[in-house]
Amino acid sequence: MSLDDAQIVNVNIPQQQSPNNSSSQEQIQSKSWRTNSLQEPGFVDLGSKRVPHGSRQGDVDSERFSISMSHREINDEDARLVYVNDPLKTNERFEFAGNSIRTAKYSVFSFLPRNLFEQFHRVAYIYFLIIAILNQLPQLAVFGRGASILPLSFVLLVTAVKDAYEDWRRHRSDRIENNRMCSVLVNEKFQEKKWKDIQVGEIIKFSVDDTIPCDAVLLSTSDPTGVAYIQTINLDGESNLKTRYAKQETLSKIPEKDMINGLIRCEKPNRNIYGFTGTMEIDGKPLSLGPSNIVLRGCVLKNTNWAVGVVVYCGRETKAMLNSSGAPSKRSRLETRMNREIILLSVFLVALCMAVSVCAGVWLKRHESELEILQFYRKRDYSEPEVENYNYSGVGMEIFFTFLMSVIVFQIMIPISLYISMELVRVGQAYFMIRDDKMYDETSNSRFQCRALNINEDLGQIKYVFSDKTGTLTENKMEFKYASIFGVDYSGERTNFEGEQRGYCIEVDGQVWRPKMKVEVDKELLELSKTGNSTKAGKHIFDFFLALAACNTIVPIVVDTSDPAEKLVDYQGESPDEQALVYAAAAYGFMLMERTSGHIVINIQGERQRFNVLGMHEFDSDRKRMSVILGFPDGSVKVIVKGADNSMFGIIDNSINLDIIKATEGHLHSYSSIGLRTLVVGMRELGVPEFEQWQSSYETASTAVMGRVALLRKVAINLENNLEIVGASAIEDRLQKGVPEAIESLRKADIKVWVLTGDKQETAISIGYSSKLLTSNMRRLVINSNSKMSSKKSLEDALVTSKNFLASEDEDTGGSDGNTNSVALIIDGTSLVYILDTELEEKLFQLASNCAVVLCCRVAPLQKAGIVALIKKRTDDMTLAIGDGANDVSMIQMADVGIGISGQEGRQAVMASDFAMGQFRFLVPLLLVHGHWNYQRMGYMILYNFYRNAVFVLVLFWYVLFTGFTLTTAITEWSSVLYSVLYTSVPTIVIAILDKDLSRRSLMTYPQLYGAGQRQESYNSTLFWLTIADTLWQSIVVFYVPLFAYWKSDIDGSSLGDLWTLAVVFLVNIHLAMDVIRWTWISHASIWGSIIATCICVIIIDVIPVLPGYWAIFELASQGSFWVCLLGIQIAALVPRFGIKMVKQHCKPSDIQIASEADKFGNSMELGGQEIEMNPARR
Amino acid sequence: MNANAPSSSSGGAGSPDVNAPRRNSKRPKYSRFTQQELPACKPILTPKWVISAFMLVTVVFIPIGLVSLFASRDVVEIVDRYDNACIPPGTKSQKVQHIQDARSNKTCVRSLTVTKRMKQPIYVYYQLDNYYQNHRRYVKSRSDQQLRNRGDENDTSSCDPENEANGMSIVPCGLIAWSLFNDTFSFSTRNNSQLNVNKREISWKSDRDEKFGSDVFPKNFQNGSLIGGGRLNESIPLSQQEDLIVWMRTAALPTFRKLYGKIEVDIEEGETINVVLENRYNTYSFSGKKKLVLSTTSWLGGKNNFIGIAYLSVGGLCFLLASTFTIIYLVKPRHLGDPTYLSWNRNPGGH
Repeated sequence: MSLDDAQIVNVNIPQQQSPNNSSSQEQIQSKSWRTNSLQEPGFVDLGSKRVPHGSRQGDVDSERFSISMSHREINDEDARLVYVNDPLKTNERFEFAGNSIRTAKYSVFSFLPRNLFEQFHRVAYIYFLIIAILNQLPQLAVFGRGASILPLSFVLLVTAVKDAYEDWRRHRSDRIENNRMCSVLVNEKFQEKKWKDIQVGEIIKFSVDDTIPCDAVLLSTSDPTGVAYIQTINLDGESNLKTRYAKQETLSKIPEKDMINGLIRCEKPNRNIYGFTGTMEIDGKPLSLGPSNIVLRGCVLKNTNWAVGVVVYCGRETKAMLNSSGAPSKRSRLETRMNREIILLSVFLVALCMAVSVCAGVWLKRHESELEILQFYRKRDYSEPEVENYNYSGVGMEIFFTFLMSVIVFQIMIPISLYISMELVRVGQAYFMIRDDKMYDETSNSRFQCRALNINEDLGQIKYVFSDKTGTLTENKMEFKYASIFGVDYSGERTNFEGEQRGYCIEVDGQVWRPKMKVEVDKELLELSKTGNSTKAGKHIFDFFLALAACNTIVPIVVDTSDPAEKLVDYQGESPDEQALVYAAAAYGFMLMERTSGHIVINIQGERQRFNVLGMHEFDSDRKRMSVILGFPDGSVKVIVKGADNSMFGIIDNSINLDIIKATEGHLHSYSSIGLRTLVVGMRELGVPEFEQWQSSYETASTAVMGRVALLRKVAINLENNLEIVGASAIEDRLQKGVPEAIESLRKADIKVWVLTGDKQETAISIGYSSKLLTSNMRRLVINSNSKMSSKKSLEDALVTSKNFLASEDEDTGGSDGNTNSVALIIDGTSLVYILDTELEEKLFQLASNCAVVLCCRVAPLQKAGIVALIKKRTDDMTLAIGDGANDVSMIQMADVGIGISGQEGRQAVMASDFAMGQFRFLVPLLLVHGHWNYQRMGYMILYNFYRNAVFVLVLFWYVLFTGFTLTTAITEWSSVLYSVLYTSVPTIVIAILDKDLSRRSLMTYPQLYGAGQRQESYNSTLFWLTIADTLWQSIVVFYVPLFAYWKSDIDGSSLGDLWTLAVVFLVNIHLAMDVIRWTWISHASIWGSIIATCICVIIIDVIPVLPGYWAIFELASQGSFWVCLLGIQIAALVPRFGIKMVKQHCKPSDIQIASEADKFGNSMELGGQEIEMNPARR
Repeated sequence: MNANAPSSSSGGAGSPDVNAPRRNSKRPKYSRFTQQELPACKPILTPKWVISAFMLVTVVFIPIGLVSLFASRDVVEIVDRYDNACIPPGTKSQKVQHIQDARSNKTCVRSLTVTKRMKQPIYVYYQLDNYYQNHRRYVKSRSDQQLRNRGDENDTSSCDPENEANGMSIVPCGLIAWSLFNDTFSFSTRNNSQLNVNKREISWKSDRDEKFGSDVFPKNFQNGSLIGGGRLNESIPLSQQEDLIVWMRTAALPTFRKLYGKIEVDIEEGETINVVLENRYNTYSFSGKKKLVLSTTSWLGGKNNFIGIAYLSVGGLCFLLASTFTIIYLVKPRHLGDPTYLSWNRNPGGH
């Protein structure tokens, strides 16, 4: 079929076209069709750690590197060579993985060593292990064998059982996965083969709805043009269909008959799911391969009857498997603080041990002469024929051993179990966050996701929120609004054809095809568009809508409806802007009907027209535009460019139609000032020599294996110039539900919200107003500079202005309501180029901290990270970044807390984030409610755990002072081991998961309560030292009350030990009970249950006849003094704490205290509570 | 504590599932647990409760303190330190030599005056000061298996350095048994009538029944080169060697008493008791004190004012606190939940 045949109206289905129409132009097709800027270095590696700030230099380097790489072929060392249909030769050297996957980590034999090895990667376990090993030395055996390894083995066992169960499930799913069937070409016939037997180099065939078993380069598909549609939801979560292309050269080959022989050279396996480069030699001809030619494991084939491909990556080397890694790990602020305090506790521990060992040394020295005969020391062993020292090696060694022994005895001073408890608590908190039905998004059917499990409590301390605009504040559901065509503004009244004509539709083979989405159209424009090329205005309108319909990467998919005579055209694509534009073009009679790699078919006002797509330069964030080279039916060739206005006006030829350009600029300004997103369209006819020149360089660039992206960009920049202006479009992106309210709440909570957007300044400002981020009484400071000097000057000016403004505000209002009037800073990306990473940063920071709101427009992804780093470097305040697109990834990884919105723009942001959710407004319950709770709970838990362990250690320590410094413990060794494992562990975890200091309602109504976390009220060094002081007092009471009560009595060690055990366990549990705010049955059960469990354990230990303490607890309990002591200890120990708490509560109540009182007594704060007389002290 | 009405925050408990859940919906299933809305009681300590709590402690503690003090006052206790009096004066090494010499006369007579009528049973204790029966080397040096089972006679691994002598296992082995206290006391009144000391049932019944075997007899005991203390009659099973059983319940503290026996007659005020004692046990090497104690008992044990005083102080302190709080609440009342105390209301413009 020749090109002329393409202009057919109402030809039915594309399949009728012969597969042999591979014209010379089409051979060079099959470029990547993605529009998103995913090829940017630094973001493609999904598992990558944070993008370091200031890595622009690195980017430049890598770019230079890739360009230089492109000049030579992939050498054989860097490439993977795949002989098509020759797996034997391909796998000659056995270097490629088979397709059998093993997500399971262990086998039956490797489980024990490997699991132990992995577990001992954690510091906590190493500490346990060292202590346990120390204890095994006969000189140091403080605890018996069993008791000393119990805590370690308990934790190891629990973790191992958990790991084993998870691994068993992985084994099962691996087995199912590996045994799935797929048809593979063997001996010129397709045979069913198990997935695990697939090898690199084999040719496989999949049918519709098959899951693809490995990464394969497409050879041919059921579609004559070689298109295959795939769904990548398993890979990146995007549910729209993506198109993949088979090469024209291989399309016609039938694998069973034609022996396909060829060689594919491609990159080594990597985890970039959006990138692939390689070449294929078929019949001696080299072809370039790109990401659009490969289908990846885990994708599902859709809308295509079959596809044939050659396997290039298998099993664990597939991109899907390489990407199955977890979220980046961050450490929470609270935990960092806590580690500082733990170092202090280690110092205490060393001090205690030093004290004991020095005292022991002094004691030994003083009694040195007596040791031999002392009944309770007996330095010498006379039982052997030659008398030698028994367990005595001189005072010096004894001191050393005493030191080590005291480390063993006092080991729990360092609350290692706290780390394990914290993990459990975070899992529990995450469970409740995920299950919160107020953070469930109906529209995307998504729950809240906790991807990082170690920064829950950071959510309660956020001070700065950095937000993306598009898709985060807005819905990212684009709707075409206005058009400016060749200087004429069409923004008149909107008409909805709903009901009347039901939108634009065409008839194909007696069926009615209509676009899936209806668009409101401008009546005047609609009329004009129907006039066609006859009028001048009509000509421009024709160009404009043709450009909209052609210059994109949208794929029309025809969907059946319930009515057999009616079909819907669904435009699938990755950019919502483009979707909106194509729907708009369709509504005005330019309906895109078919897209293949070589041509598109557009139904123009009922007339089917075919255009050859000769080339396409995809969108990238540097050029901020895309272009398509279109061969018209009349043989002319045009380049159509569509892009952001600032990038377009630079390449539009302003020697002609200057007034039109000026008018368009005016329209753009008015569009963007009402918050619309604008795109400018330009066009140029290509002459034959220019076209040929472009074509040859395009061909070279697109077959280059390395650095292709950079080369193509160069080709594009050479081509995209001297354009004629066609027009501009305005698209509305509606604000998400609840955004203004959410921003209001965040502002009240004293969280600074910064918006970082790639949009135009006017758009950003108008969104700022509609989202209530900016208010009319704010003083706006705008910085738009394009040199370092001017940036510096405007910064300094702004700084002075803001200071003066704030000062005058203070005078005016007497500083009483400084929040009503404030300063907003608006700064653009160009200025930021000159500010970030220079000495001006400091000025910007000062200025920004004077401002209530900061809006950054036109910022590049790395600049977003730079701005976050600006704050992070200079303050201690916690930062949160929220975004939805690939361009937010760097910012999300840079901020202390990164939140991904699972929205329209794919899953890149979510995959890099710590938490993911469906809507911006969920930020409010997340921070204000869950963040507050998590922080308060975790802060309390850490302090409580410090206290709980230290009080026990101190009780042991005091006793050591009365045993000649020899580290005897009156408390049985089993009790000391079980203390932190069983006696006191459950309540603290339960309370840290369940306790709520305030109700959700109060927290939502009074966002100011969030300040408690920002001011670190639940955990700070004052509280730490108070806790330590309290601990000291409580340990003294616990130890010395029984000591004095039983001094000079006939009490034995075991009985007194039991008394101390019970007293300290009761005390720490009652202490916790005193601080519980909300008593549910679970808290009751855990606290009182622990006390009962302790009693049972003590009784069990005391009914074992071979232990020295046999029956002690019963003898003890039969004495009145035991009960009197027990009661007295609890009260005396807790009175100071209780008293101080009450004084503070009354005289200096915290906000939380007031709010919880209001919560309880219901005298709502709105009433002011004046009229209710209730001072209970007087009643 | 204020524990009235268990109130739940019923903010969203109404009907969150208005729209019928779509099939395949991931909407979390509503339950009060997952929404953290379990019914709960939120005690708030109002001033009334705080003062009541302190008053309650006062009301409970002061009577207990008084009763304890009275009980302690009623206990009659006679303490007599005899270690220095019962040995010829000399240097420490002379004393040690004297006490180690098997042939030296160690009998000693002491007379005690009863200052107050003592009602039976009168407990006879010996008290050792500075004797670390809780020393780590000491407490570990015993074999509970061996004490209990005849078959485990050779289970002496934990008894170092007193596990065997002359190549044979010692029963009972270990430092504790080896250092058995062996001073003896006999009492008579002024008119030379003997006061019988009942030495039966001075140990725990559970120890006699379970811990010390009735078929385990002492063997090879105190046969080593160094004698640590008392010897045992090899024909009496361990379960009846009550002095040993008492001694083996190692004391918790370095100053301790151990029950020697019970005198089961009343002794009148002013009576003088003559004690004839054999001063054999060596505490001279480490300047440990030895005391003889005769004491009656109360429900609270021996004579010890500590508990009474402690209870009175805590009770008093709480009373003080209760009054202080009353004054604070009267002088500077604060309305509960008063919004003017909120930080953003207190200093507007917030810092």
